Amino acid sequence: MAVLEMQRMTLCGLRKNRKAALELLQRRGVVELTDELTPDEIFNRTDTSVQCATFDKNARAAQNALDILNQYAPVKSSLLSMLEEKPRRTESEYYDFYAASAKVMDIAYDLVQDERIIAEKNGELIGLEARITALEPWLGLDIPMKYNDTVSTAALVGYLPQVLTLEAFYETLAQADANHPPVHAEVVGALHNSTCLFLLCHKDDKKNLEATLRTMGFSYPAGDCTGLPRQAMEELEARIARTEKEIEETIEDIRNYAPAREELAFAVDYFGMRREKYAVLGRLCQSRHTFVLTGFVPKRAGPALVRELSERFEAYTVCEDLGPEETAPVLLQNNAFSAPVEGVLEGYSLPGRGELDPTSVMSIFYYILFGMMFSDAGYGLLMTLATGIILLVKKNTPMKKSLQMFFWCGVSTVFWGLMLGSFFGDAIEVIGTTFFNNPNVSTPCLWFAPLNDPMRMLIYTMAIGLFHLFVGLVMGIVTKFKQKDYFSAFADYFIWILLIGSLVLILVPTPLFYSIAQMEIILPGWLGTAATVTAVFSAVFVVVFSGRESRNPFKRLAKGLYGLYGVTGYLGDVLSYSRLLALGLATGIVGTVVNQMGSMFGSGVLGAVIFIAVFLVGHALNFAINVLGAYVHTNRLQYVEFFGKFYEGGGQKFNPFKIQNKYYHIKEDQQ
Amino acid sequence: MENLGLVFAVVGAALAAVLAGAGSAIGVGISGQAAAGVVSEEPSLFGKVLILQLLPGTQGIYGLLVAFITLAQVGVLGGSADVSTAKGLMYLGACLPMAIVGLISGIHQGKASIASISLVAKRPDQSGKALIFPAMVETYAILALLISILAITGVSGL
Repeated sequence: MAVLEMQRMTLCGLRKNRKAALELLQRRGVVELTDELTPDEIFNRTDTSVQCATFDKNARAAQNALDILNQYAPVKSSLLSMLEEKPRRTESEYYDFYAASAKVMDIAYDLVQDERIIAEKNGELIGLEARITALEPWLGLDIPMKYNDTVSTAALVGYLPQVLTLEAFYETLAQADANHPPVHAEVVGALHNSTCLFLLCHKDDKKNLEATLRTMGFSYPAGDCTGLPRQAMEELEARIARTEKEIEETIEDIRNYAPAREELAFAVDYFGMRREKYAVLGRLCQSRHTFVLTGFVPKRAGPALVRELSERFEAYTVCEDLGPEETAPVLLQNNAFSAPVEGVLEGYSLPGRGELDPTSVMSIFYYILFGMMFSDAGYGLLMTLATGIILLVKKNTPMKKSLQMFFWCGVSTVFWGLMLGSFFGDAIEVIGTTFFNNPNVSTPCLWFAPLNDPMRMLIYTMAIGLFHLFVGLVMGIVTKFKQKDYFSAFADYFIWILLIGSLVLILVPTPLFYSIAQMEIILPGWLGTAATVTAVFSAVFVVVFSGRESRNPFKRLAKGLYGLYGVTGYLGDVLSYSRLLALGLATGIVGTVVNQMGSMFGSGVLGAVIFIAVFLVGHALNFAINVLGAYVHTNRLQYVEFFGKFYEGGGQKFNPFKIQNKYYHIKEDQQ
Repeated sequence: MENLGLVFAVVGAALAAVLAGAGSAIGVGISGQAAAGVVSEEPSLFGKVLILQLLPGTQGIYGLLVAFITLAQVGVLGGSADVSTAKGLMYLGACLPMAIVGLISGIHQGKASIASISLVAKRPDQSGKALIFPAMVETYAILALLISILAITGVSGL
């Protein structure tokens, strides 16, 4: 309903209580700290960056260790686990953890070390495997790769960078050197695009032959393989097996730490909390025996906090109202129906100073517009049931607000689906005709089917759009009243309602409108006259007052005329609501296409099976794409058309000092 | 040649499905590359960039929609297929807004999506605003869809 009123809190307490007081503030999570005080000779700040860095390092190491543990010893988690609320730990468990933390951190560093070992060993494996690949073609060689010369022969073992048969080798050799010395060659194997060769020649010819071969690109194998290739291979394989075993053992070692998972998760939170606390501690102004902190606190949470602080820590706390020129951080409060769309508002911008919180008005339109675009009772029912059940089962899920939003959107979708006659497209008719031979059943349609009369629906969507825009203008009037700027409320907002309203009244009875809409609306004659008068009056008013901040009369007139040109903007805005019709039709018709495809295979058992398969896949797809479309375009209508009329935003979000745990919820001890 | 009207109508339906579908394919394709790049650095943004990638996908659906309505109206999907040449040409014309605008807006929405994806990569908290930029492009696809639907239903009533 509103932006909560903020107060400035100043807390002064004894230095010995400062950590306990901060912990209390952190658990309450209702104070956003500010750095208003400047340090002087008596009050100064302590540098806590070293502690912060240490806690940060520990938190990261614990997180790292946890990730490693989850990688090698994963816990089964379902898709629904993101809806799960965090397990709880008590305050005293938090304090007791101090003693255990060193041991947990040892485990964490062990895990990190294990992971490093595995990475190293894996690197080794890759190297070994590369060597095996290089060695494989040489397996046929039954002499060592580094073969020493005999009394009168010399051997050359190496690669040529071509794939060659023995004949081809002799040919290329002859081409390279027609008078090459006699040589005995054997092709041992092939690797990639090269040939592994064993060549034997007379000792005296070795130099000669080598030179010729080099021109052909001959090269000796790399590495220090002195033994037989087979032996080398066996050695490598043994080493691989050994390394693999070592990796296995390390992984086993990691798995043995699995029972520490919860402690590690808690360590992440524990050090995170302490880091936060020390970061704040560094911002406090402290004297020898006292400390002072300032911050914003919501007015309704103030008194309870003041009482608690003074009772428990003998701290002196005051909460005072803010001056009219001060900007406070924004915290919204809305009822259960509207609060879910606060996120949408936040996606645009939070209300700036002196602005209304438009959430409650927006929420009504949000649900209506979403429902019109999604507009299928079946889909809406699915969405309502799914979100409703999750909300019932998991009361404190972190996604509560989004789920609630889609719950209400679903309810609205069911409503519009029934009004406009769509239930999984035309599933009822198709199933009735195909499988039960009963063409008389039909989807209930309380109003009319938009595909049969799209023009009529188009007119209605635009009427809804016009109403939405007018509500936006009314919101503008209310905002200006709140800011006590009455003239602007009239000249910038009310006059547009008059102008657009009277233009619509003039347009509706014309033959032009009749030819488009096929709807004849007859208004009493006096209303037409009145509309003409107000239209002229408001148009002139807009021209005269739109540019009222300009002193130069010509500039003012030009600005006024430009202001009147804004009418075209309204035309565009209203037309933009035609997407309600287009997207609504899209959902229904694609659903119909799916049903039709499914029913193509007749009414037999096979037909039924295919129908069910097509139905499930097709509607799932249609559901997904249309829920996305409805969401995006509802946002767009709110952001561009509705907010564009009155809302600026620019507020800072209230960002209290609180526990931002990832895994655990800290529960207060009962006292 | 007495079925020439039907030919025109089916060509129109095919154009709507083909061109709008191609536009979406291009748009979703290029934005998918950007999305994959972001996810390679920041896997937690998968959900947000996936939505942005899918935004240019709607033109294909609209094209399908127009094609389907046209085929249903001229009776290709069952019923009597009897369309005069003039009417067939009108159906063809009615399909063109969706076909052409679908192609072009799909591509450009893809480009806007890419920009929004990189916006989300830099500032994940601004994903609400990032959604709106590509959605602006889609407005024109929706307008074209509307005209195509109105024209097709209008032609069938002539």
